[in-house]
Amino acid sequence: MKQKEIFLGNGAIALGLLEAGCQVVTSYPGTPSSEILPEVVRLIKSAGLNTYVEWSTNEKVAFDNAFAAAVSGKRAACCMKQVGLNVAADSLMSAAYIGTTGGFVIISCDDPGPHSSQTEQDTRLMARFAKVPVLDPSSPEEARQMVGVAFDLSEEFQVPVIVRPAIRVCHARENLTWGGLKNNDQKASFEKNPGRWAATPRFRFILHGELNRKLKEIGRRFEKLDPFNFHDLKSGEKYPLGILAGGVPYSVVRDILSDEDRKDIPVLKMCAPHPFPEGLAKEFMSACEKVLVIEETDTVIEYFLRDREKVLGRFSGHIPSEGELVPEVIYGLINKTLEELQMKGLSSEGHESAIELVKGLELPIRKPTLCPGCPHRASFFAIRKARPKAIFTSDIGCYTLGINLGGVDTCLDMGAGITMASGFYHSFAHDQVEQPIVATIGDSTFYHSGPAGLLNAVYNDSRFILVILDNQTTAMTGMQPTPGLGIRADGTKGKTIPLERVVAGCGVDFIETVDPYDLKAMVKLIKKAAEYTSDPAGGVAVIIARHPCVIAYREEAIPQKKEIVVTEDCVECNFCHDWFECPALYKDPDLERTAVDQTLCAQCGVCLEICPKGAIIEA
Amino acid sequence: MENINFVLSGLGGQGILFMTKLLAQSAVNKGLKILVAETHGMAQRGGSVVSHLRVGGVRGSLVRAGSAHILLALEENEAYRNIPFLAKGGKLYANAPKTSFPRKEVRPYLEKIGIECRSIPASDIAVKLAAPMSTNLALLGFFSAFQEGPISYDELKETIAQVSPDRFREINLKVFDKGFEGGSE
Repeated sequence: MKQKEIFLGNGAIALGLLEAGCQVVTSYPGTPSSEILPEVVRLIKSAGLNTYVEWSTNEKVAFDNAFAAAVSGKRAACCMKQVGLNVAADSLMSAAYIGTTGGFVIISCDDPGPHSSQTEQDTRLMARFAKVPVLDPSSPEEARQMVGVAFDLSEEFQVPVIVRPAIRVCHARENLTWGGLKNNDQKASFEKNPGRWAATPRFRFILHGELNRKLKEIGRRFEKLDPFNFHDLKSGEKYPLGILAGGVPYSVVRDILSDEDRKDIPVLKMCAPHPFPEGLAKEFMSACEKVLVIEETDTVIEYFLRDREKVLGRFSGHIPSEGELVPEVIYGLINKTLEELQMKGLSSEGHESAIELVKGLELPIRKPTLCPGCPHRASFFAIRKARPKAIFTSDIGCYTLGINLGGVDTCLDMGAGITMASGFYHSFAHDQVEQPIVATIGDSTFYHSGPAGLLNAVYNDSRFILVILDNQTTAMTGMQPTPGLGIRADGTKGKTIPLERVVAGCGVDFIETVDPYDLKAMVKLIKKAAEYTSDPAGGVAVIIARHPCVIAYREEAIPQKKEIVVTEDCVECNFCHDWFECPALYKDPDLERTAVDQTLCAQCGVCLEICPKGAIIEA
Repeated sequence: MENINFVLSGLGGQGILFMTKLLAQSAVNKGLKILVAETHGMAQRGGSVVSHLRVGGVRGSLVRAGSAHILLALEENEAYRNIPFLAKGGKLYANAPKTSFPRKEVRPYLEKIGIECRSIPASDIAVKLAAPMSTNLALLGFFSAFQEGPISYDELKETIAQVSPDRFREINLKVFDKGFEGGSE
């Protein structure tokens, strides 16, 4: 029975995985990839499939687990965000040489913008770097189809294949028809062959040659990979301008040309850009005087085009080298190119004056902020109060927003809250300077990449306080469980691995747990930890600030609700706004003091402790 | 049918995604094609939330600035922030006071490109019915009274009944109808 349903792009990818008979799906959450695995779980439950799913502790772990499944002959996939693939890069480079037996597909989701990432990096470049094929969907439906094609290619050529949907595919919704999902009964088997599966450098040279031959063959396949790679040139016709586009920008270009009824501009769609279909590109280039290359976010296609004189793209300054290529940007750059080539322009736009008008309105800037009642807010307040002169190294998660409270000075990548803390320590200690340092990291991020850095810090006698902000979920990406909870991806029970045990295993001797809602206790504990870090016999001190996320655990997170008011004692000193930044505390222009927005207030009561004038009280 | 572009704007927590879902599902129920673009992740934490809905045979999920036929805003400032999306002759529906909306600085522009603005204090309606989280439904009901775009009042109402969780169905429909009444006056 087929049914129609509106799918999130990530759901369309999940559907594509199961339609292709993928038997093992692993993932670590990260925007914009996070919903793929939950959608897989939803679909396998509704269709009664036996697919194995797991939230892995990090992307490299996810990669290796899925890779081994593929080596055993099953179809397997791992899903992550683009910077997650950096974590798994070591595995990717090697897996490309070794290859697989069963189909192995890596879904790596890009974030042009960036909307929720450290970088705007282009996974297609990673594919070229690793020498593996990559497919770049232009819509949710296409992403679904591509996953199936990726598995077929992977199995036929015994090579990992990357599918890289960008955020506008992942977080788009489209109506799809689906049904009739079936289990794939491929059994696991492993034939020992150390020359391949445990290849030494001598064999690696041979494998590299094999990979190069595979790529050549796949490149020939990509010349005619309709409907992912094709052009609409009319035979024998010459054009002053053609557009070469891939991925999401392809969809935008098609919409614009169709809205404007521009049949005079041919398009080469290239959604399978690596290995590069050289012949297809040449054919298109030879029919066009100039070719505008529109791709996100880097110069993968443009780099491969040989006839530089004809190419208009990032190298020539026609396409911006940063930021998302949203429709109005693409519209503008096509129009500018048409003008430059003295061709008929697009119909006028007219929204630019509106942008200026809106700028002039001085609308409130709504920067992202920690939720009312968020336990991280309490932790940052206590940390800053107890160690005002410290360097605050931090990490990736909701708590990066502690930057608004002056509680975050650095954010590099997953795990760097700890490794930068030890780096700072040694840098200052080198000059005989005792610099206080407080590192923060979330629970899920700690499991992801905390232990190696912490172990290193203890081993090399670094001195700093590490506060693990344990809100008992992976909040930023949508409340995925952690090993600390012991709940698995499909909701079944796994083994709980408490943070305390992991921290102790890293060699830490000072481990204390506190509820950050109790500000006084936390401030006291941080001061005690500071003494320990200064003691010659001391070391790294770890505080686990444990309080459940107010979004994930709702009522349970705030058992004792307190109605809060601000009295006339408020002198508008701004202390609560600068140090606490709760969205429920706002400056009331009529009262000429701070007030509580009762519709936003979570009634956690933490702010009762913060006002220097004692103006925040319980009603 | 001509393609119709919606932009829906508001603040995190106001139910922009649910309002988008109701419109999208209604369109799908009558056999139309849709594409939606949503805001997730970091941007959702208390920030401005925007979603785009495109009905018809389109490929890209994002509405191009200057091409939205309908802008639905759950907050007044978020209405102004998204004015650049409006196409000539577009319609703007906002949760805002009846008399003072839109503020005078934007009126000349909106008049110049022929935008019709309609507002209703949708939050007040929702609060009066003891459903402060349902501002989205009040505005949607208000919008449905003007028979603008491809989806009718009846179709929206059917979708609300279809997709609302059991315990919210009755109140959701009540708030929606109150908004509709506000638009029919």
